[in-house]
Amino acid sequence: MTDAQPSPVLPVVDDVDTGEFFAAAARGEIAVRVCSACRADVHLPRENCPQCGAFSREWRVVPPLGALYSWTVVEHQVHPATPVPYTVVLVEVDGTDGVRLVGRIDGRAELEIGQRMEAWFEQVDDVTLPQWRPIRTDEESTA
Amino acid sequence: MPDQTWTPGACSIVGIGETDFSKASGRTPLTLAAQAARAALADAGIAPRAVDGVVRCDMDLVSAPALADSLGADDLTYWGEAGPGGSGPAAMVGQAVAAINSGLATTVVVFRSLNGRSGNRYGLVGEHGAVGGDNNYEEFFLPFGMQTPGQFFAVVARRYAHEHGLSIDELSHGLGSIAMAGRAHANNNPAAQFHQRTMSREDYLASRMLSSPLRLFDYCLETDGAAAVVVTSTQRARDLAGVHVPVLSVAQGTGRGVQPGQMFPALLRKSITTWPSAATAPTVFGRAGVTAGDVDVAQIYDCFTITALIQLEDYGFMAPGRAAYVTPEDLSVGGRLPFNTSGGHLSEGYIHGMNHVVEGVRQVRGTSTNQVDGAEISFVSSAPPPGASAMILGVDR
Ligand SMILES: [Zn+2]
Repeated sequence: MTDAQPSPVLPVVDDVDTGEFFAAAARGEIAVRVCSACRADVHLPRENCPQCGAFSREWRVVPPLGALYSWTVVEHQVHPATPVPYTVVLVEVDGTDGVRLVGRIDGRAELEIGQRMEAWFEQVDDVTLPQWRPIRTDEESTA
Repeated sequence: MPDQTWTPGACSIVGIGETDFSKASGRTPLTLAAQAARAALADAGIAPRAVDGVVRCDMDLVSAPALADSLGADDLTYWGEAGPGGSGPAAMVGQAVAAINSGLATTVVVFRSLNGRSGNRYGLVGEHGAVGGDNNYEEFFLPFGMQTPGQFFAVVARRYAHEHGLSIDELSHGLGSIAMAGRAHANNNPAAQFHQRTMSREDYLASRMLSSPLRLFDYCLETDGAAAVVVTSTQRARDLAGVHVPVLSVAQGTGRGVQPGQMFPALLRKSITTWPSAATAPTVFGRAGVTAGDVDVAQIYDCFTITALIQLEDYGFMAPGRAAYVTPEDLSVGGRLPFNTSGGHLSEGYIHGMNHVVEGVRQVRGTSTNQVDGAEISFVSSAPPPGASAMILGVDR
C-alpha cells in the first residue's frame, strides 16, 4: 500500500451487530454470525434469524478460503485512497450458507469466476481488513 | 398473485409535468418540484390549491408539506413516500391510488425532484469518519473498494454473463443494444439531454471503461430536474378536460431474502442476476389481468444498461439469458418491445424513474415523440435492487 496522503475508508468496528467481524479479523480469523437456535449462518450479521425467528449473538470461525463469485476492475477514480486501477472481488466463503465477502486487489487482476481464493489480513491504521486473493498453488487448476 | 381487492383502473393519471433536464439547473429542488407539479396540474386542468395529497420519494430533499405550501394548497389531508430511491415511482403512484380509494385524499401530486448532477451526486463515498454501523452494513463494502453503484452493477453484469455462458463480448452486445435503443429515441426527443448526440455500436464500444465490463455509455446521465404526475379517481377524471390514463395495476415486491441496507447488500442475495422485479411481475400483471405479451410499450428503469437487461427477463418480456441477444431494432418503435421511448435514464435524463412514468402516460395519450401506434397497454418499472415496483397504464373503456 502506498496511499500515504488521503485518509483510507475505514469501517465502524464497534457496531453491536457487526463489530465482532472486525474483532475476529484482528485475531487473523474470518467469523460469521450463526443462529444459536437453528445454526443457520446469518449474513449480513444481525441478531434476529430470518430462518427460525430466534434472537442470538453467536459467531463462528470459518475457513479463510472461498470461491470467486464475481469481480470488476475499477478504472474510474472515485475515492482518493483507493487509486485505480484496482479489482473488487466477491468471494463465496467455504463451508457457509452462501456467505459472500468483498475484497480489493491492487491493479487489474487476471481472474476467473469459480477460482479458489484465500483471505489475508490487511492492517490499515488500527483496523484489520480481511482481503481476498487468488490461491497460487496446484489446486488452482482444479477450480 | 391477483389481489381480490384490487380494482383495475379505479384511479387515473390526469396530468403530467416536467422541468427541463440539465447538468446545472441553477434552482433549488423545491423550485424544480413546484415547476413540475404546476405543469402537471395545468395539464390536468386542476387548480393547485385543490391538491390535498402529495407523495414523494424517500430520497427527495423536498418534503410533501413544503411542496403543498409552494402550490398554495388549502389543506393537505394525506402525504406519503416510497423508495428506496429508484424503486419508488410506480410505488408512489400506488400510494396515491390507495389514498384516493380509501378516502384519505382526492387529488394527489406524485413527484421527484433532484439536482442529481450539480447537487448531491450519488455513489460518492463520504469524506468524514468511519463508514457503516446502525445496520446500513456499508462497513462490509466501502472499505473494500466497492464504493459506487456502477461497481455494484459491474459485478452483477459479470456474474450474469457467467451464469448464462456468455463471453464478455456477447454481454456487451446486449448492453450496447439497450444503450443504442434509448439513444435513438432520445435523438427524436427534444427534451432529452442527448437529443443531439447519436451513438453507433462502435461509439458505444469505444466509450471509456469505468468498471469492467461496464463502460461510460452503460451509465445513466446524472441530471438536474423534476417530474410530476397528478392522480385522481377515474370517475372524477372523466369530468376533467384532459385525457386521463387509468392505472390498471401497480405493485411492489421484494421477494424472500432481500437483505437489509440499500444497495451493496443485494450482492449477498441467493441470486444476484434475478431481482425483486421477478417477485413483482406476477402481481403487476395479475392485478391488471394482462400478460407480458399484451404490453405495447415499456419504460424500464435503466440506471445502468444491465439493470434494464435483467428486468426484461424478470418481467417475462424475454426468457432468462436471452436479453443479451436483443438488438436495437427489437427495442425500437415497430420492434417486438418498444422500450424507453423518451430515451430513458441513459439518454433522456435521470429523474429517478419519474420520467419513465410520465413517458408511459404519453404513450397511452398518443403524444410521445417516439409514439407507438395505438399503444393501449403501457408498462412502467421502477428499479431494483432494494426492492421493485411497476405499473401498467391503459385506456378508459
Ligand atoms: Zn435460526
